[in-house]
Amino acid sequence: MKKQLAMALAVAMAASVVLAGCGTTESTSSGGSDSSSSSSSSSSDGGSGGGASLQLLNGKPEIDAQMQDLATKYAEETGNTIEVMTIGGNETASSKLKELKQAGEMPDIFVAEANQFANWQGELADLSGEQWTEDTDVEYVDDEMGTIGFPYMVEAHGLAYNADLLEKAGVDPASLTSPAAYKAAFEKIDGMKDDLGITAVVGWCAEASNLGWSSGTHVFGHYLDAGLDPTDSTYIDMLNDGGTLDESRFTAFGEFIGLLNQYSDPQLLVDGTYDDQVLGFASGKYVFVTQGSWIGATLTGDDSDAYAAAGNFKCGFAPFAFEDGINTILDEPTSYWTVYKDGDVDAAKAFLQWCSEDTAQQIFVEDMGFVSPYNDCSYTATDPFAGAVTEWLGAGKHSSYHTFFKKDGLQDVTSVVFQEYAKGDIASAADFYTEMQKVTTDYYAQ
Amino acid sequence: MKTNTSGKKGISIGCFVVGALLLVVALWLDFLATNGQDFLLTANFNLSMHRGAMLIIGAILILVGLYIFPTETHHRNIINFIFLFPLLFTFFVTVIIPLILGIGYSFTDWDGLRINNVVGLDNYIRAFQSKEFLYSTLLTALFVIVNMVVVNVVAFLLALLCSTKLKAVGFFRASYFLPNLIGGIVLGYIWQFAFSKVLVNYTAALFDYPYSILSDTKMAFMAIIIVYVWQYAGYIMLIYTTGLNTVPREVIEAAAIDGANAIDTLFRIKLPMIASTTTICLFLTLTNAFKMFDVNLALTGGNGSVPDFLGSKLTNGTEMLALNIYSTAINRNDYSLGQAKAVIFFIILAAVSILQVKVTSRNEVEM
Repeated sequence: MKKQLAMALAVAMAASVVLAGCGTTESTSSGGSDSSSSSSSSSSDGGSGGGASLQLLNGKPEIDAQMQDLATKYAEETGNTIEVMTIGGNETASSKLKELKQAGEMPDIFVAEANQFANWQGELADLSGEQWTEDTDVEYVDDEMGTIGFPYMVEAHGLAYNADLLEKAGVDPASLTSPAAYKAAFEKIDGMKDDLGITAVVGWCAEASNLGWSSGTHVFGHYLDAGLDPTDSTYIDMLNDGGTLDESRFTAFGEFIGLLNQYSDPQLLVDGTYDDQVLGFASGKYVFVTQGSWIGATLTGDDSDAYAAAGNFKCGFAPFAFEDGINTILDEPTSYWTVYKDGDVDAAKAFLQWCSEDTAQQIFVEDMGFVSPYNDCSYTATDPFAGAVTEWLGAGKHSSYHTFFKKDGLQDVTSVVFQEYAKGDIASAADFYTEMQKVTTDYYAQ
Repeated sequence: MKTNTSGKKGISIGCFVVGALLLVVALWLDFLATNGQDFLLTANFNLSMHRGAMLIIGAILILVGLYIFPTETHHRNIINFIFLFPLLFTFFVTVIIPLILGIGYSFTDWDGLRINNVVGLDNYIRAFQSKEFLYSTLLTALFVIVNMVVVNVVAFLLALLCSTKLKAVGFFRASYFLPNLIGGIVLGYIWQFAFSKVLVNYTAALFDYPYSILSDTKMAFMAIIIVYVWQYAGYIMLIYTTGLNTVPREVIEAAAIDGANAIDTLFRIKLPMIASTTTICLFLTLTNAFKMFDVNLALTGGNGSVPDFLGSKLTNGTEMLALNIYSTAINRNDYSLGQAKAVIFFIILAAVSILQVKVTSRNEVEM
């Protein structure tokens, strides 16, 4: 009797181990589809090695819904399925990818920023010779690994402005190509605050904890590239060589940031949020804002009520003209899609080719509001910034986005210095240079 | 009878061997061959995708083999082992193996994907040379000391309040405990809003300071302490309340008859009687304050300017150790350095915890 009882218990225990085991295997294999929004095209046996379904890891949460549409459309047109997983923010996408790699569950296509490609040395498929490479100039080409980055969008960054308000104030945005011109324009607009119904001239926010990516990566990027030819990598090379900053250029840049500090909304400057900043611009409370073309989607999306109330004004970009004659904005793909060598490379290539063609381009441009990197794209976005970006690109007045080649995480330290400067703890542009130089040198020394 | 035994023995050994083989292959696939496509046996069957099942089946076969092994002398030991196995197995898989692997990684240049070189103590040297790490360590020590005192004092006072015969005492207990049920990240963002959007209006009006206190390193550190105490005191309060309720009524009554007033009763009767509770609470606050992460991440992200620390300017003025380890690995993409820091963190935490248990257990009163 006792023995039978022991036997029964042992069997029960063994069964529980088996069940527990099944539980874990199941939950890991469906982990991917958990984090993605449910997609009609996702197949349940994700990555069983059969190559039935492609997987793509998307790093832009704001386009998740449109990506699911893209997957559905792809299934409709070609009969092939693709499963889209969305991870928020690129930092987490890159660490998530490391997890997936360890688990042997790498997606076939995944998002990567320019300075992340080096991590994947020897793991990426060379895409050179693909049809789409003929139609674009901004694919990512590595000396050793070949063509590895598929550009799915171009994003632009400059000093975004509200064209209607500028017109009302009598300031011609084309004249804003020198610090003196900016100074005069800011003074003039500041004096007309009540007439224009604005809170402040500029919506510039140097808060470091949540908006460090804006000051530390994007605004800092203008020091590296503004006014330069896209192939000119002088300042990024200097930076990557021990964190050196060019004193005269950086001090001039610091003077310009000082001007932004002076004319920004003090409520926003030191501890505002991204939402406040974009909403303020959408409601016509700021004439300028230090964000890029991606806020166009917010203007016509989440903030569309405020934007409509402010008269659906025209938008444009002005250069960060911290030295006389600087007249370019930064535009390049801010991230790429890349293909995992050991995934289903042929199917991935077919999907990317399809993405560069007509049906997909319509979704990318009209639904996601991207500027297309493809020359033969015939769609124009309804996005408020699309026209401006195309105009700058067409005039050849654009610089590269070398800020994505800086050392990983540098923005975490530089953004704190921007905040100190905004708060007044750093008093002058010369001190701004000295303090910034200290932290970048230390950061590169580690 | 004899043939039966030897037959059983054969089956038992067979099960054992097959099980062990499956286990070894599964572990080998897991550690050495993460590249799934290499083990594509047929178009639809990939060996490495089934390593989890192989591991479990292997373990069960070994257990079955052990169970039916015909022995009188070791039968009880085998049964004991089988019953302990699930717990031990889980403990090994989730704690021991990662710990050993983690220590191993800290001696290499592991980047989260692969190991190119074994670098010896290089990561440890870099960690100790890093002023940011040193600063985070000192800041964490300060945070721990301040919190051990403040959390315990506040929690004890709340416990005294909640063990009186006040009306609605249940409501107070519940509401003090409630913050502990909210996740640290959520809590951090709620308080960030309170500091940056609400409190700033008062500081601007009263002290002419128009910025959020989170943008000043020292005040942001105090803000973290406030939020942490608010979150954690309710939990410790519950333990103190339980402790206070175990103090025998006779002892207190006897003290009252002897003429002890409330203060005497508190310091000479209640406090010594709940020394064991105090030990638990000190231990809990110590280790938990050391492991501070989520509120730190949500509230300040570790940012804060330190103009001069050992001759360098630092920008991680509010970054505690755990967050420093996280940002080293994830934001700065330096996994092996993060791993080395984590091992140092583990050693510090283990040493301090052992020390404290030894010291405080001497003061306990035997009941």
